[in-house]
Amino acid sequence: MRRSKSAGGWLCVCVLMVVISAATASPARAQGSTDPNPGALTLTGGFDFANAYFFRGIFQDDTGVVMWPYGDLGFALHSGEGALKSVSVNIGTWNSLHTGDAGSNGPTGKLWYESDFYAGASFGFGTGTTVGVTYTAYTSPNQMFGTVKELSFKVAVDDSGLLGAAAVKPYALLAQELDGQADGGADEGTYLELGIGPGYSLSKVSMTVPVKVGLSLSGYYEGISGDETFGFLSVAGVVTVPFISAPTRLGSWNIHGGVEFLMLGDRNEAVFGDSSHVIGSIGIGLSY
Amino acid sequence: MLSMSRVRNNARMLAAAACTTLILASSPAWAQDAPAVDPNPGAVTITGSIDFLNQYMFRGLQQNNTGLVTWPAFDLGVTAYSGDGGLKSVGINFGTWNSLHSGNTGSDGPSGKMWYESDFYATLGFGFGKGTSFSTTYTAYNSPNSGFTTVKEFSFKFAVDDSGYLGKGAVKPYLVLAQEFGTDIGTGQADAGDNAGTYMEIGIAPGYYGISRASIAFPIKVGFSLNDYYELAGEDNKFGFFSVAGIVTVPLGGTSNFGSWNVHGGVEYQALGTTTEFYNGGDSSQVIGSFGIGFSY
Repeated sequence: MRRSKSAGGWLCVCVLMVVISAATASPARAQGSTDPNPGALTLTGGFDFANAYFFRGIFQDDTGVVMWPYGDLGFALHSGEGALKSVSVNIGTWNSLHTGDAGSNGPTGKLWYESDFYAGASFGFGTGTTVGVTYTAYTSPNQMFGTVKELSFKVAVDDSGLLGAAAVKPYALLAQELDGQADGGADEGTYLELGIGPGYSLSKVSMTVPVKVGLSLSGYYEGISGDETFGFLSVAGVVTVPFISAPTRLGSWNIHGGVEFLMLGDRNEAVFGDSSHVIGSIGIGLSY
Repeated sequence: MLSMSRVRNNARMLAAAACTTLILASSPAWAQDAPAVDPNPGAVTITGSIDFLNQYMFRGLQQNNTGLVTWPAFDLGVTAYSGDGGLKSVGINFGTWNSLHSGNTGSDGPSGKMWYESDFYATLGFGFGKGTSFSTTYTAYNSPNSGFTTVKEFSFKFAVDDSGYLGKGAVKPYLVLAQEFGTDIGTGQADAGDNAGTYMEIGIAPGYYGISRASIAFPIKVGFSLNDYYELAGEDNKFGFFSVAGIVTVPLGGTSNFGSWNVHGGVEYQALGTTTEFYNGGDSSQVIGSFGIGFSY
């Protein structure tokens, strides 16, 4: 029951890790090393291990090992100097494999708990502003939850140009469930996430401290006392170390790890049985 | 009923053949239209495709009999080594191949879910002189809508690209041996039989290029059970299927910053053996039409 819902708040952290790895590789490219992939397609991916999985504060599993293989293919359709700086399309998949109660040690005996497919478009404007729209289908190959289809919109600002090292990179994500529900409730929900992603880069190591809050605008965190607005607060620290400083013919690879502290709202606390949880993760990332 | 619950692999081969054909077929166009700058000179190659069919047969075993079948596929290739010695190349490939069904084994079936099959595979390949290659592949055939139980398989492929000798008369012969493992009675097997099966496939893939911008290939293959691959009522029938197909590939322009894209379509005729005929509703043959889009970057 408690895992009768779906997918991935940690997706944001994973994407962040990949973005970080790509970012750390950029200076090396700029320094003149040969770019193995100057074309318009970009591949990012990774494989992470974690001790627990919460999706937007909704408990999924904290037994056994959780593995997250993911991949993203990006198409740079446009880049220019006008008001519209860039247009890109991304398609990708994010997966969660569980050895514990939600996976191979659970009622189905199958490891593959979650498989998400997404497709999105994003538009880059001046002053580091990006607007994106994404369709996501959250599915459970081992039938542990019903498919959830969602349309989300994201506005993000890269304020590095204005604030330099003090940039906080704020964003807002608005998601509307179209069919199926993450909370297994009565109505499709509307979700709002507000976050920042300040980061610091040292010589060969970068660190980010993503902070985010998940809120229900309508029916996203339904519980026995109705819809609760506050879903979770998350603070994490993620360290990324490139394998080598310059991209190779195999692209840029990194190892990354982090710790996330989750504080849950009443509804999510009631489902999980505790008001907070600490999640540790480590993984390998690729940007090509 | 059994044919539904035993679902899996066959389509992957057809898709692989189609993809290979596409890639091969588009090579001349690459050469003709190569941009000044290679969009991807690195050691990672990305290929993908989406195909639409009227029927999915896995190595002769019927997987659906109504509705539309859609095959999205994606492959990531890593060139680990290339040289001029006896060992010419070493490559690693990872990929996923999927089958989405609108018919009786998909969204119109008992599960109500479209995603019938999702395969993950990893391949280690070695290229030698004279166009010879050898590869070994691990494949996990999964069914997200529980249309069949997961099948795990190791396969080995030996192939010869005889274009260097025969030019346009090349037939590109190959041999595949596949072994199922981790099975139980009725579980983890393509035929849902009693024992893990050993499969052998022999094929050729002659092709013709330079027909305007299009190319055409005629893959022919025969699938056999070496041991318990096509079980039926306790008996292993050795002959699985014979397949002959025609596939036309048309490049969409030349190579651009987005790589090389093409549209392709084909018709395949399959003559079935005793077991595969049984699971095909008693019909001894099947005609499959397909159409799709592919890219290589």
